[in-house]
Amino acid sequence: MTAEELYAKFAAQFPKVQKASVEVKGSPAYATLRLNSPAELEPVIEWLKGLGFTYLDIVTATDYKGPIDVKGFVMDPNPNAFLPEGATPQIEAPTATPNYPYREAFELEYCLTYLEEKIKVFLKLDVPRDGGKVPSLVKHFPAADWQERETLDLYGIGFEGHPNPTKILTPDFIKGYPLRKDYVHTPDQFD
Amino acid sequence: MTETTTASPVEYLKTDELFVNLGPQHPSTHGVLRVGLTIKGEVITKAVPDVGYLHRGTEKLAEVRGYHHCVVLTDRWDYVSAMPNNLVFCLAAEKIMNLQVPERAQYLRTIMCEMNRIASHLLFFGTYGIDIGAFTPFLYAFREREMVLDLFEMLCGARLTYNYIRLGGVMMDTPPEWIDKTKEFLDYFKPRLDEYDTLLTYNPIFMDRTQTVGLIPKDTAIAWGLSGPNLRGSGVNYDARVFEPYAAYDKVKFDVPVGKTGSCWDRYFCRVAEMRQSVSIVEQCLKLMQPGDFAAKGVAKVPKPPPGESYAHVEGSRGNLGIYLVSDGGQSPFRLHVRAPSFINLAILQDMLVGQKMADVIAILGSIDIVLGEVDR
Amino acid sequence: MGIVLEKLPGVAKGLPGGEMLLTTAETIIDWGRKSSVWPMTFGLACCAIEMMASYASRFDFDRMGVIPRPSPRQADVMIIAGTVVKKMADPIIKIYHQMPEPRFVISMGSCANCGGPYWDSYSVVKGVDKIIPVDVYIAGCPPRPESLQFAVLKLQEKMMKMKLSATHGAAPQQEKGSREIAAE
Repeated sequence: MTAEELYAKFAAQFPKVQKASVEVKGSPAYATLRLNSPAELEPVIEWLKGLGFTYLDIVTATDYKGPIDVKGFVMDPNPNAFLPEGATPQIEAPTATPNYPYREAFELEYCLTYLEEKIKVFLKLDVPRDGGKVPSLVKHFPAADWQERETLDLYGIGFEGHPNPTKILTPDFIKGYPLRKDYVHTPDQFD
Repeated sequence: MTETTTASPVEYLKTDELFVNLGPQHPSTHGVLRVGLTIKGEVITKAVPDVGYLHRGTEKLAEVRGYHHCVVLTDRWDYVSAMPNNLVFCLAAEKIMNLQVPERAQYLRTIMCEMNRIASHLLFFGTYGIDIGAFTPFLYAFREREMVLDLFEMLCGARLTYNYIRLGGVMMDTPPEWIDKTKEFLDYFKPRLDEYDTLLTYNPIFMDRTQTVGLIPKDTAIAWGLSGPNLRGSGVNYDARVFEPYAAYDKVKFDVPVGKTGSCWDRYFCRVAEMRQSVSIVEQCLKLMQPGDFAAKGVAKVPKPPPGESYAHVEGSRGNLGIYLVSDGGQSPFRLHVRAPSFINLAILQDMLVGQKMADVIAILGSIDIVLGEVDR
Repeated sequence: MGIVLEKLPGVAKGLPGGEMLLTTAETIIDWGRKSSVWPMTFGLACCAIEMMASYASRFDFDRMGVIPRPSPRQADVMIIAGTVVKKMADPIIKIYHQMPEPRFVISMGSCANCGGPYWDSYSVVKGVDKIIPVDVYIAGCPPRPESLQFAVLKLQEKMMKMKLSATHGAAPQQEKGSREIAAE
């Protein structure tokens, strides 16, 4: 199966699911699709699993709010402070790129693999930044368990039906969701 | 008449559930992993792995570092085998930037990844011996591992965190005598692999200890998203080097060792067998490699790739290591997500330990071969 | 007895016949302490691999009397080998307090010294000396096994300078962590 054939099958089965405008580069055997709502996620996943995509690669998210806020770091993250005097600066402070379509949303990414056919499919799904919720995939793929917890911990996206929606990486006293672009670090007892 | 107890001995010996805390500084957890175990008698009824004791926030830091700086961060995920980490980030970034890597650099990358796989599996071999109760393999394994590290040191000056594979190629060409020294090492190393087999692999005590514990059936392994020797030990032939050949893997011939039952021994065996394949790959690459450029020309000092997304995955020493990279056209990655094989492999522990005996916990944990730097990132 | 007398500073000459040894209590206690530096077996991150390499065949830490102990109750020195993250800080303090006095800490690698490559991270303690006192710092990312061995030699120097004071037993000269080993 090639990516084109997969797109055709998708068009027949789910006419609403479109090919994403920004494709994931990497290999001709990567297909990228954009889902319109969280309700579509489970039927698509079930259908893909039936087709042979039995291996869940990644579950993650991206915050498209804009350039990163440097207040999310304990110190100024600019490494130029370590350069000797008079050296050329290595990197500037993060700035917004003109004309890049930043938007107020998280984008969830799922990647599934068809082991025998050597093809990967990337699913994208926008969720609102405040109180966004998506169905959990744990009952379809146990592999989603920790990856969803990680996304919850670092982005604060809720996964409905997750058996254990708790923090996994950061300690309890870290408030907020560190990977959000507007995360502001509150100094704690160790800073 | 005095009252006697009517309880049967079995009833009398009945125990309550007991909570056992393993880690985070337990010497056998290979780092700072904590596992909360609930045991009834000798049998585990619940296992809760607790990770995050080495969470350094790399994914956040990458969003303010330049692309060249990010390579430094990648070294410290899987610090036992850092070359594949360097490689996977460079592959993902090169795909966004449309950089063409010269052929010699492709071969050098392949050689370094395979040499690093040998070093990494040697560490596994040594520490797994200790986990099972055999201290001697550790000393043998480190003897050879130091030789590999010497070669790396000669190449780039570092023993663990290399920063050798860079955007567009590698840091520098091999020193003149490096190739001869490597051939010398490979000739020395091949008979050592047979020694390891007699010492540990086919040792009846070791086989009895590991062949019946920690079984992972094929379907379970796929459903939990295992990768690397953990997946192949269960009999699934999934290897990123074959699935989607990168660097120079399409130009060399090699087998992918696959286990049968998915026991601890199968996973161990896949790793030991992989070392033989790595030796063969390095030998072929040394033969095929021609003089030439070691890095692409014109890589910017502060690269600003066009907006876009890319995904690259390689077969690291611990499994399928992937990078999902988003660029907004700025000087730093907009988003860098790591598909860390150790993190995903470790998740199965909560399911797998239930019903096993307390004495087998370390044998199972050791056979999954995690590196905590990669689990927590 | 197997003691090399030249290595034992401050020893009066052995009496004729060599059956008796005169020295100060301080010297013999310090000498005994420095000859059996038992570290706690526990690694945090990358540096732990170099620490293992120092115990292994080539570098052979045993010859300095360094034998890893799995329990903090039996350990003299804690080698902080790797990044100390905030979640791990409490366990480290707990382990430190479980070790018997006098206890020593070697901070191995840039991460444990000051945060290293993670100087701005939200989740990393910027130097283990923010939570426990440190005796010896080693630079490097990661430091070579030789550096760790040099650190132990430095620690032995420090141990030989310890005095029997009004406190019970020999107390370390520096109660609180400072950036340098006490000058002569």
